[in-house]
Amino acid sequence: MVRQNPKYKIALKYCGTCNPYIDVTRIARHLFNVIKEKDELKLVPISEKDISIIVILCGCFRACGNKEDVRNKSDKYLLIAGESLMGEYIAEKSLPSSLDERLIEILEELRSNRTP
Amino acid sequence: MAMMTGKQYRDSLKKLKPEIYLMGEKIESVVDHPAIIPHINSAAVTYDMALAPEFEELMTVNSDLIGEKINRYTHIHESHDDLVKKVKMLRAIGQQTGSCFQRCVGHDGINSVYSVTFDIDRKMRTDYHKRFIEFIKMIQKNDLMISGAMTDPKGDRSLSPSKQADPDQYVHIVDKKKDGIVVSGAKAHITGAVNSHGHLVMPTASMKEEDSDYAVCFYIPVDAPGIVHIFGRQTNDLRKCNCTMDQGNAEYGIVGGEALTVFDKVFIPWEYVFMCGEYEFAFELVERFATAHRQNYGGCKVGLADALIGTTYALAEAQGTLQAAHIRDKLTEMVSLSETLYCCSIACSCQGYALPAGSFMADPLLANVTKLNVTRNVYEIARLAQDIAGGVLATAPSEMDWKDPKIGKYVDKYMKGVDNVSVETRLRLVRLLEAMTCGTALVESMHGAGSPQAQKVMIQRRANFEHKKRLANKLAKISEQPS
Repeated sequence: MVRQNPKYKIALKYCGTCNPYIDVTRIARHLFNVIKEKDELKLVPISEKDISIIVILCGCFRACGNKEDVRNKSDKYLLIAGESLMGEYIAEKSLPSSLDERLIEILEELRSNRTP
Repeated sequence: MAMMTGKQYRDSLKKLKPEIYLMGEKIESVVDHPAIIPHINSAAVTYDMALAPEFEELMTVNSDLIGEKINRYTHIHESHDDLVKKVKMLRAIGQQTGSCFQRCVGHDGINSVYSVTFDIDRKMRTDYHKRFIEFIKMIQKNDLMISGAMTDPKGDRSLSPSKQADPDQYVHIVDKKKDGIVVSGAKAHITGAVNSHGHLVMPTASMKEEDSDYAVCFYIPVDAPGIVHIFGRQTNDLRKCNCTMDQGNAEYGIVGGEALTVFDKVFIPWEYVFMCGEYEFAFELVERFATAHRQNYGGCKVGLADALIGTTYALAEAQGTLQAAHIRDKLTEMVSLSETLYCCSIACSCQGYALPAGSFMADPLLANVTKLNVTRNVYEIARLAQDIAGGVLATAPSEMDWKDPKIGKYVDKYMKGVDNVSVETRLRLVRLLEAMTCGTALVESMHGAGSPQAQKVMIQRRANFEHKKRLANKLAKISEQPS
């Protein structure tokens, strides 16, 4: 019997989206599709324990969802705040693909850190 | 010594020898000239208040860069709290001076250049940010007052910098040397220029590759060779020479003591050069500076409005009109207009955010809305003040006639209002109201930090109409067109 590695838990935290500059629901939908396609990822609520990745999705640069207690729930996090990803300007149309790239980088890092 | 007193600030100016002209004459001593003394007094308040315990919380901050308590005017914002406190500080100072205290422009300049030099270095592998941090340390240690010199004369506004018939219409690099650069051109309307220790010069517009020589940012001491200041005229400026009461606000004057600042082949050492040809970052710098500066206006102008509303209230009292319902309604309207501006500045500060450099800036959309409202509300506040004051605002006899042994008794007799208020009190209130609402003082609210159209351009750029359209489509049950 082949023993499967447990899935990496990924959670999504919204800022509250009072007056979003970007279409956050579109990015969230994209993220859900990516998670569905990747067997090693499992979407969980943010209240879950042992989360591997948190995606903080904020409608504008104010980044109201980017709080220490949110970031501390996992080792890795990705922050989208308006037209930016991790503090770097990214045009709205390129945000999904940039998010994919960063997710792949994080997954590679997590895989390499996983004890055999 | 990381914080100066007002006196130490004045003494520090005595050691400088800037080249200044006013009405065809060269000013030999900036601290002794009646046209400039009020502006120095006003700036000195920013030093003295920092040492007053009741203002310490707003006016000072502990610097991580030099490990000392510093004046907030030399601080790089590190949080939303810093942004909010800046606004509160501006209001508190405005209440004391009733006039522009000038120091915010340089403060906004250092904050903008701090974040943009970080961004330039990250992309271009330059070392401007490291240089700039050393510069900030020097400013903080010596508590220097820096002018923020952004606006170029612009010549033909329909042409970009490099297309101007006269290249000096925008400050530009004329030579690059081993030890620095040489610049020429001019900056217009520079607030506090003649009583600052130095100028932080920034580009004024977005640039293209052909404008590279105009994408230049640097610091230069106020008395460096080749810098000429031509001090601007103000409404009623001759009153500074022959009377006190008729000035209205003799101690602090009106507006910020603006000057046309000419750079005639001025040498800038590399240690003070913070942008040199990186044209693609010019817009970023302009936008961040404009945001920081427009954030201010619901702070300082509200402080001034507090003093103006108080003046108007006292004048109504002196004239026996305070109990009239329409007067009380107008005074209430003035407060509402003023506090609306404060709301705007506080809001854009709370909605600010961190930049890649780690420093904080206000929300650009809300900061521009703040300033656009200032171009309207301050005029309306002034209109209501003039309405309540009455025609005496434009016709009151001079203080010389009031003091005249022969005709003074007529002024006393016919300028009298209610019994328990002296004519002198009434005249002083009238003159203060005149100084704060007539002429030059109002123009500052229209064009300071950029004209209304500049704010509208920024607002339009960030309005996100597509998002609003999506909201409408959802409500109206209109399905989205496939993109």
